Amino acid sequence: MTRLDRRGLLKAAGAAGALGAVWPLAAGLSPARAREAAEALGADYDPAPFTLGVASGDPGPGSVLLWTRLAPEPLAAEQELPEVVEVEWTVAADRELRRTVAHGTTTASATLGHSVHVPVSGLHPGTRYWYAFRALGRRSRVGRTRTAPVGRVSSVRFAAANCQAFHDGFYAAHRGIAREDVDFVVHLGDYVYEHGRVGGVPADHVRDHEGPAAFTVADYRRRHALYKGDRSLREAHAAHPWFLTWDDHEVVNDYSGTAGAAPFVRRRAAAYQAWYENMPHRDAGGAALALPDPEIHRVRRWGDLLELTVLDLRSHRSAQNLPDGTILGAAQKAWLKRTVDRAPDSWHVWANSIMLSQLRGRPGGPYMFTDQWDGFLAERKEVLGHVHRSGMEDLVVVTGDWHSAFVDDIRPDFDDVSSPVIGTEFTAHSVTSGAYSADWNARNGPVMGAANPHLTYFEGNRYGYDVYHVTPERFSAHMRVVADRRDPASPVTTLTTFHVDRGRAGSYEDPATRNSPAQYRRD
Amino acid sequence: MNLVVNGDAESGPGGSAEPVTEVVGWEVREGAPALVPYALGGGYPGPADPGPAARGSRFFSGGSSLRTVLVQDIALPERGRTGRRAVDAGQVRYTLAGWLGGYAGQEDGARLSVEFRDARGTPVALSVLGPVTAAERSSRTALVERTATAAVPPGARSARVLLVLTRAGGTSNDGYADALSLTLATGGLA
Repeated sequence: MTRLDRRGLLKAAGAAGALGAVWPLAAGLSPARAREAAEALGADYDPAPFTLGVASGDPGPGSVLLWTRLAPEPLAAEQELPEVVEVEWTVAADRELRRTVAHGTTTASATLGHSVHVPVSGLHPGTRYWYAFRALGRRSRVGRTRTAPVGRVSSVRFAAANCQAFHDGFYAAHRGIAREDVDFVVHLGDYVYEHGRVGGVPADHVRDHEGPAAFTVADYRRRHALYKGDRSLREAHAAHPWFLTWDDHEVVNDYSGTAGAAPFVRRRAAAYQAWYENMPHRDAGGAALALPDPEIHRVRRWGDLLELTVLDLRSHRSAQNLPDGTILGAAQKAWLKRTVDRAPDSWHVWANSIMLSQLRGRPGGPYMFTDQWDGFLAERKEVLGHVHRSGMEDLVVVTGDWHSAFVDDIRPDFDDVSSPVIGTEFTAHSVTSGAYSADWNARNGPVMGAANPHLTYFEGNRYGYDVYHVTPERFSAHMRVVADRRDPASPVTTLTTFHVDRGRAGSYEDPATRNSPAQYRRD
Repeated sequence: MNLVVNGDAESGPGGSAEPVTEVVGWEVREGAPALVPYALGGGYPGPADPGPAARGSRFFSGGSSLRTVLVQDIALPERGRTGRRAVDAGQVRYTLAGWLGGYAGQEDGARLSVEFRDARGTPVALSVLGPVTAAERSSRTALVERTATAAVPPGARSARVLLVLTRAGGTSNDGYADALSLTLATGGLA
């Protein structure tokens, strides 16, 4: 087989006048050739069979979930592997894996894409560990993870990432996250995008999807494998444990999880199965249903300092703009209200895939997007009213989806400026997914500010992630931005920092960065 | 031996298009199913419509709920030809089967799945059948057979079967299912 080279591919593509057309699988390439093409154009993979890397997730006080997936040909619909493969796993107290603290074997079944999910227990709280897998005579890379602490905690740092359209840029943001000194990462959704190729490479996009829109398990598996072909994403997974929620593009744009038509039900199940197979998700077990309907909402604690509530705003939602519509579903809403009722005296962080705060496009005008909580007004009022009545303080909501950074005061009634501020919402920049143009942002930032008195800050010209540093006294949001999303190794800087003081609702910008660029800033 | 209890909808309350709150062998997790007689008429699948040859007298439908979910937990046999020793030696295969369907050109549907779990409850295998689309039924009221076969991974100790009946529109949930089965056989890994 002739090895494809980058220069040859680009030359051929240029001659054909359509670089996107030679992107993997487009010309009916075999999986192996598709992988070669992907690699020639910048993707790469770990050595087989652990091509997609390793990951850990859902850290608890004495446990963490370890993940890998065997995929010798990552872009193949079916792997040429035995139907069931035995996989060894090891957890150690050192990066050389000499001081083993736990080990065992498990199975990787073809029915679950040869994925491996190992909930390791019996670990020490608040402790760093390293781990690796062995299968088919090969060992994976070594991953690093951490368990949650118990008792008094003086500091926690975590990162939040969202919206990582493969074609819109390289994952310099994940490269930055991998290098951050954080305890964990929260992914807020749009981890993959379901649609087909976008074209326009390299003028408009740095790379492209491998084929048409995803509908089947094989399609979604391939899409996840393509995204993990960016080494920075694998590095970020291997560096820290992740908490996970999802938004719409893990399935299809703007979907409602309760839609019942058979073709959609089948597509959703395929997408959810592939998501589970490719994520360090701890199965909820117990009263939860079962795959392919994983339960992802959950509440976790980081000692006495932080309570993290992970919301699922897709699986159980109704259609938008109904008088009795729901974004949470009845069961999750009841669970969230109980969680609020039982909240400890700590910071309360909600991992929220899509904007909670009201957002009108112009003063007195309609809501900009009713796919977000603005399409579920009664439920938002009910939930935030419950938070207010419960007396819960120190609520911080971290949000994705918008491809731009916002800071909002959260009020039970956003149209009533005398309504009390009960929390702060930080909506983070996207990893890569395209935002509005600089012109649009410059024109509409002040308009949105005028239309939304609770809006504190808007910046839409950059890409990156947030790092949150939490102490008993203060919650600080550092907006990390990359210089150029077209550069895989783009440097990361801090655009600005906002603080929330404990026991005092509302945020304020750090004086040192108040002069940083933004398209709206409430003075 | 079929490990699914009442996979044919023949036992317990039902016998009309009215939803029931309890189903023998199953936990009703969401909504409320109806166990409808083939003889009922009124557009429901009848004795002459495509469906299982030995269809008995009743089938599952979704009742009137947007989504009806039935759950059945199955402990895998401890002993015997398909017991734990054989499972852990990689000598057991499973087959999930069911007749799944819907009404005419509507996209209401039935999805049947099985998740195998190890002793700690972690999923180790999964098969999902359906839902059958209207196009696959040629827009005819029908139940269509779907099956999946795979190895039971070593360490598997239980299985959870889900039957999900969904409504695409209207007021009646016309996801239909019958002759649901989960069987084990010796045969080993492919």
